[in-house]
Formats: sequence, C-alpha cells, structure tokens
Amino acid sequence: MRNLPQTVIQESLVEPQVIEAFARDAQAIVGADQISVNPADLLANSRDYWPVNNIWMIEGALPALPQLVAWPGSADEVSALLRLADKLKIPVTPYGEGSGALGGAIPLKGGISLDLKRMNRLLEIDEESLLATVESGLNGALYEESLNRAGYTGGHIPQSLSCSSVGGWLACRAAGQFSTRYGKIEDIAVSLQAVLPDGTIFSGRSVPRAATGPRLDHLFIGSEGIFGVITSATLRIWPLPEKRHLASYTFADLKGALECVRLIMRSGARPAVVRLYDAQETGNHFPELGDQRCVLILLIEGAEKIVAAEAEVIKELALAAGAIDSGPDHVEHWLEKRFNISVASMLFQKGAVLDTIEVSTNWHNAHNTYLAMQNALLAVEGTILASGHYSHVYPDGAGLYMTTVGFPGANKLKFYKEIWQAAMEACLAQGTAISHHHGIGLHRGLWMREEHGSGMEVLEKVKKALDPEGIMNPGKLGLGEVGLWQK
Amino acid sequence: MAEVNMEQLLNCALCPNMCRCDCPVLQALGREKVAPAGKARFAAMYKQNHLELDSEVIEAIANCLGCRGCTVRCPFPELNLCDELLFARTPDKEGRQGHLASWEPYLANLKKYSSPYGQKSFAGGRADRGADILYFNGCTALANHPQSLAAVEKLFQKAGVSYQLINEDCCGYPAETWGDPELARSLAAENYRKFVESGAKILVTSCPECWLVFTERYSGWGFGLPLEIMAAPSYFLGLVNDGLLKPSAIGQRTLSYHDPCIWARSAKITQEPRQLLKSIPGVNIKEPLAAGEQTHCCGGGRMFQLSFPKTAEAIARRRLAEFPSGAAIVTACPFCREGLSQDNQTVLDLLELLAESCTK
Repeated sequence: MRNLPQTVIQESLVEPQVIEAFARDAQAIVGADQISVNPADLLANSRDYWPVNNIWMIEGALPALPQLVAWPGSADEVSALLRLADKLKIPVTPYGEGSGALGGAIPLKGGISLDLKRMNRLLEIDEESLLATVESGLNGALYEESLNRAGYTGGHIPQSLSCSSVGGWLACRAAGQFSTRYGKIEDIAVSLQAVLPDGTIFSGRSVPRAATGPRLDHLFIGSEGIFGVITSATLRIWPLPEKRHLASYTFADLKGALECVRLIMRSGARPAVVRLYDAQETGNHFPELGDQRCVLILLIEGAEKIVAAEAEVIKELALAAGAIDSGPDHVEHWLEKRFNISVASMLFQKGAVLDTIEVSTNWHNAHNTYLAMQNALLAVEGTILASGHYSHVYPDGAGLYMTTVGFPGANKLKFYKEIWQAAMEACLAQGTAISHHHGIGLHRGLWMREEHGSGMEVLEKVKKALDPEGIMNPGKLGLGEVGLWQK
Repeated sequence: MAEVNMEQLLNCALCPNMCRCDCPVLQALGREKVAPAGKARFAAMYKQNHLELDSEVIEAIANCLGCRGCTVRCPFPELNLCDELLFARTPDKEGRQGHLASWEPYLANLKKYSSPYGQKSFAGGRADRGADILYFNGCTALANHPQSLAAVEKLFQKAGVSYQLINEDCCGYPAETWGDPELARSLAAENYRKFVESGAKILVTSCPECWLVFTERYSGWGFGLPLEIMAAPSYFLGLVNDGLLKPSAIGQRTLSYHDPCIWARSAKITQEPRQLLKSIPGVNIKEPLAAGEQTHCCGGGRMFQLSFPKTAEAIARRRLAEFPSGAAIVTACPFCREGLSQDNQTVLDLLELLAESCTK
C-alpha cells in the first residue's frame, strides 16, 4: 500500500529483519495465514475508540502502526508467540474489539498487534455453580446473547456491549450499566487465565473464596495488557430475572437527589440500574421532563417478591426526600436509547471535540467532585457543555460520568489536553479516583503518579518482575518514559 | 453509480463499530480490516485523499455481503454502509479504484451469456400473451436449481393463473457487485425492454437480489419499471389466502425457516414465508437463532459464493450451527439454498415445498 497516512505518536519501530525473524518462527506456531504484514491489517489494528483517533482520522493521520498482526487460536499459541517476542524484544500490544476509550490498543512502539478474535468460544456454562468460562476474544453481545439463550445473564451490559470483548472488559476493569446489582467486572470475574511474556500460563482457580495467598487473578484485571495477555476467564452468571420493575423520580436539586440515592444504598436495596442525571442531562436525554429537575432512573430485577420489596423501600425513601414519582416510561426510553452513541460521530464532523470522563468518588465528595469538574471544564475556552450523571452507585460511593463538548477551532488537540488537565486536576483535588471504568490506556497515564503516589513504584516493580524486557503494551498505564503524546 | 454520502460514511467511520457482532464476514474471518467501521474508515480516508486505494484495501472493502446486518443495531437510520461502499469496486476516471482481477471471468461470462455462470441461463419459456403476471426466475436458480422453475410453473397452473416467462438477462446485481455499472445498466436495459414489451402488470420474482435491483436500482439507472414488483413468497401467499392454491399434507415435518437477508431486512418479508409453511398441514416450525429481521446471512450475499468462496463457506457453517437439531432447513433464496448446502445438508426451497403440497 502506498502513501499510508502519517503516524503522529509512533515512538519507535522494530528493525524490519527482527520482524521478519519473528514472522518466520511465528508461522510455525500459528500457521502462515494467522500472521500478516499486509498494510490493510496494520492500518485496521492501529487504533481504538480514543476520541483523539477520530480527530486524527478526520485530519488524515494515524496514531501509530503495528508492524505485524498475529491471530493466535489458543493460550498455548499465545504463550509461544510471547516467548518468541520476548526473546527478540519485540513490543506486543493485545487487541480485542478496539473499543477502548483511552488509546490503550495503540502500538506506540510498533511491533506486534496480538489480536484475540479467534479465541472467541464460550467454553462452559456451569449451571450448578452459576459460572461461565469464556475465551477472552469473544464479543460481549455474542457472549450475553449466548447466555440469554441458555436462560442466564452475565450481568455485564456496558454501552459498548456489542463492540467490546470479554478480555477487554477484564483488561480495563470495565463496568456495565447494571453494576449496582451485579457488580463491575472485577466483582463478576472469579478467575482467569493469562500468559506472561516469558510464556508462563497462569490459570487461576474458580473457587468462590480462598485464603491461599493473594488472588493473583486480580493482578491482571485492570492491567491493560502490561503484564501479559488474558486468554480466558470464568465469570459469574445469574438466571434471567423473573421480574423487572422500572421506576423514575425527579428531584429539585442534584445534591438532595444524591443524598436520597445514598440512603437507598444504605437501606440494602440493590437495583440493577441506578442513574442520576443533573438537570442539564435530564433535559437533554428526557426532554419531556424539562431541564430544571434531576431525574433518577431505576431498574430493579430479580425474584418477584424481592423486587416488589425493593421497589417499595425505594419509593418510600424517594418520596420522603421530596421526589416526584415519574413512572416507568422514562426508563423504557432509556432502555431503548442506551446504546445509541450517534451524537458523537455527528459532532466530530461538525468540528466539535467531545469526551466522557468517568471518575469514582465516595459519598462525602460525590457532589463536590461534580461541581469542581464541571467548573473546571467550563473554564476551558471553547467548552460549550459540561454535564454529568452518576452512572453507577454502591454503598460507599458512586461513579460520576462527566460529558464535555467544545468547539475549539483549529487546535483541537490543545483543547483536548486542556479539558482533561482541568478535569483531572479538579478530580484529584477532591480525592476522587481518576477513572471508574474506562481505564487508563495511554492518555490517562499522565495522572497515574498523582493517583497512586508510592503505589506507582509498586506497579513498576511488579511490571519489572513480570515483564523484564518491557515488551507488553509499552507506554500505557503511565509507565515508561514520557512519550510523544505527553510532550 | 450513486455519489458517496460522506456524512453517512463518516458517521460510520467515527463510530466504535456498534454493529461488529452482526457482521457475518467479520465474525467468520476475525479480521479487523473487514469490520464495518474499519471498511468505512478506509473508504473515508481514501475519499479525503489520505489513503491510496490499492487491491488490498479494495478487497477488504469488498468483503461485504450486502446483507445489511450492520443496520440492525446501527444508530444512524439513514446509513446503508453496504451500498455506500460500492463505489470502491468501480474504476473511476483516473482508474484509481476498481474491481479485483478474480472477478474478471464472471464479468466476461455476464457479457457473453448474460449470466455469471458461463451458460445462457434460460432460452425462453411459456408466454401466455397478455397475461398480467410476468415471472422472473433469476440466473442463479436457473443455473443451480433448474427444477425450481418447474415448481413455480406448477403453482401458477394449479392456481389457474396465466403467466409469462421471458428470455431473461441477468438482473444487473452481479455486474454492479463486480464493479461494472455500465454492464449492469446494459443488462437492465434489456430486461426493461422485455418487461415493457410483455405488457404485464405485475413482475413476480423469487430471487431476492433480482428484487432488490428492480426496486432499488432500476429507476436510478433510468429504467423506472411500469410494473408492480412482487416478492414470490408474498405473491404465492396471496394465492393461498384467496383459495386458489390449496396445500395438502406432505407428512409430519419439522422445518426451520432461514430468512434471506434481503427478504427480511430490505423487503420486510418475514411473516409471509412462515404463513406459507403453516398453510401446509402437518408442518411444524422451529425457529433458528437469529430469525426475522435479525437474521444472519448464509454467506451467499453479493455473489460471495463466486467472489470469496472460502469465506462464504465459513459464514455458512456459522449460520448452520444456529439451526435447531431435528428440523429441516427451508429457505426462499437461491443463494441461501446454495450456501447452506454444506456437508450434504439438505436445504429445501419454499416454493418447491409448496408445489409439492399442492396436489389438488
């Protein structure tokens, strides 16, 4: 292919003869048809859904290119490929479905894009212990639909369900919309199998609880490919709910609504979906409610009697807090629209820069974090919108999901960096965690040291121990030297 | 060839690929370059002069069945990516785009025989002069399942309906698929002339791809058809409902209907075939996974069985795994019939089954 688009943040490339040496031996491992240096494959595996990739695409540029794509079919093949890459010191970037929002799948130093799409089998459903064992490359929607046909749900329904993989969920510590009942992916995962760069295959045990030293499986959940490659996992599943109850309430102000949600969590009620929108998002997503009140969306599911009891407890608490019962229709509307992300594509074309920034906060600063982040975002020149909703709630706090849109004119990347800097500074000042479920990837690594303090040294030591050659997804999670993007 | 709608193409290219689980090609090949938004990104970058369109990219973009599976979850109601990507198959004035070399023999066949199959598919047939109904069988069924025409003729005769057949030329869909819109237009012109000369009022076809070009393309190609276009399942259901066809039992049979993607998603014909099956006494229907408008392509869309036979076979095998055991597969499309007939799998044709049941 001639005239490939320009790469913008390619840190380095591996010498071509080293890639050729890898390709020769890799053919014997996976077969000649399961590796490619075809530019169309390299181009396709060069990016994920980090908004900056879209800005570059419109401008005719790419973040960075891999030099070879490999499609292993088993953990053994992953092991052999990683051993080979480690020996030749070739960077390896795992690739699932490419829906990551922070640039985690970008091959900054070229090398190999290890694409897991062939490892897409649902291996077993254990109906007695309510567990499913699944390969990491399986598409999320296909996983959930397979479970549904067997009478179960995986309980993990992110907005990216149809464009993300099970391995991606684990690698990024993802959250689904039904997380208050079923948990985030780290709660749903019981065990996993992962391959280290030296070829070691780690297989966790699928027991419910154990006191057998640290649960090493959790080392890989959220590791975003920096320690190795997740190849399969055993996840909790649930029987499809007998009953689903939809309810919504509107509140005069966000702070009062938040306090009500906190009390709902304190009561022991565990709705699957709890979403509290600020007034602006209430008006945007539910125009029939206007933009003066804050709507709380609830979806309660499970055994009929338990659902009825939870609905009653919640209603009492909501009405006591002065809320207006707004019925089930708004929840139906949300269910219908919850996967529709069309506005992002349309706004990008009109010259906008937009992103969503999700953070995790305890109750005591849940409202202050919202105010601080909103003010910080609005203070950036070019911002026209900074709104938020609490998309996931727990007894100890909530996930806050800020949406921001701006029309910065020509220098979109400068604006992008400014809004993130403003949002992250505000977030950290509140003692709030810088990510709830999108993960770190490339971009959010900028704030990892402030997030973790000395914990970052621990992360670096673990990285050094497991990946001494530093081949696994270099430049991510804030590890390594400052790169072109950060500069 | 229609102009590319850049806004829609970019809507797709800038999307995280919400439809990727519904793309049979991506699911069968597992290659990011054939993901719907991946193809749209190639196309958009090319259209904006950021990427050369060489044979590798054209092949990736052409790995599209035209099944419109990507519309099932698409958040953009106006987007038809399968058609937006057609441009890349067609050479432009500078010769920058173009069809793949492997398609040339089929285009040569179309030019020589008016059929991609290397033989003139139909040398004439019954013509009830002045009959209102004109039946168009399509070259794929005629080439691969010539008995299908006999079954349809039996149905017309049992119903006492006069009908015409013509010396069919290929409908033009394959020529468009293989990047020769001029050839597609010339074939359409011949069919148009014959349709008009027939004086028929209703054109009935059992081939979904023929139906698609008659309804969606001919007018744009300058051949607005002065006939009503009817899909055969709808037409023959009408004859059953009017009492002109009286299906009788052909034994206890459990059948599973495979919705051809064009009938299901473009023509919205999903209930009619099932009603036809239910009109046959003793038939029990068991649904496959992915039925109705959510159907999965058999792998035969956009001439894949000729263009990309290995991929077509892989897609068919995935689809076959979605059918319930103990049920015979029945469909209403010559490509689906061909594609799903893997490993000696018997695939029944809806109209042939109906004809078998219409003994009275």
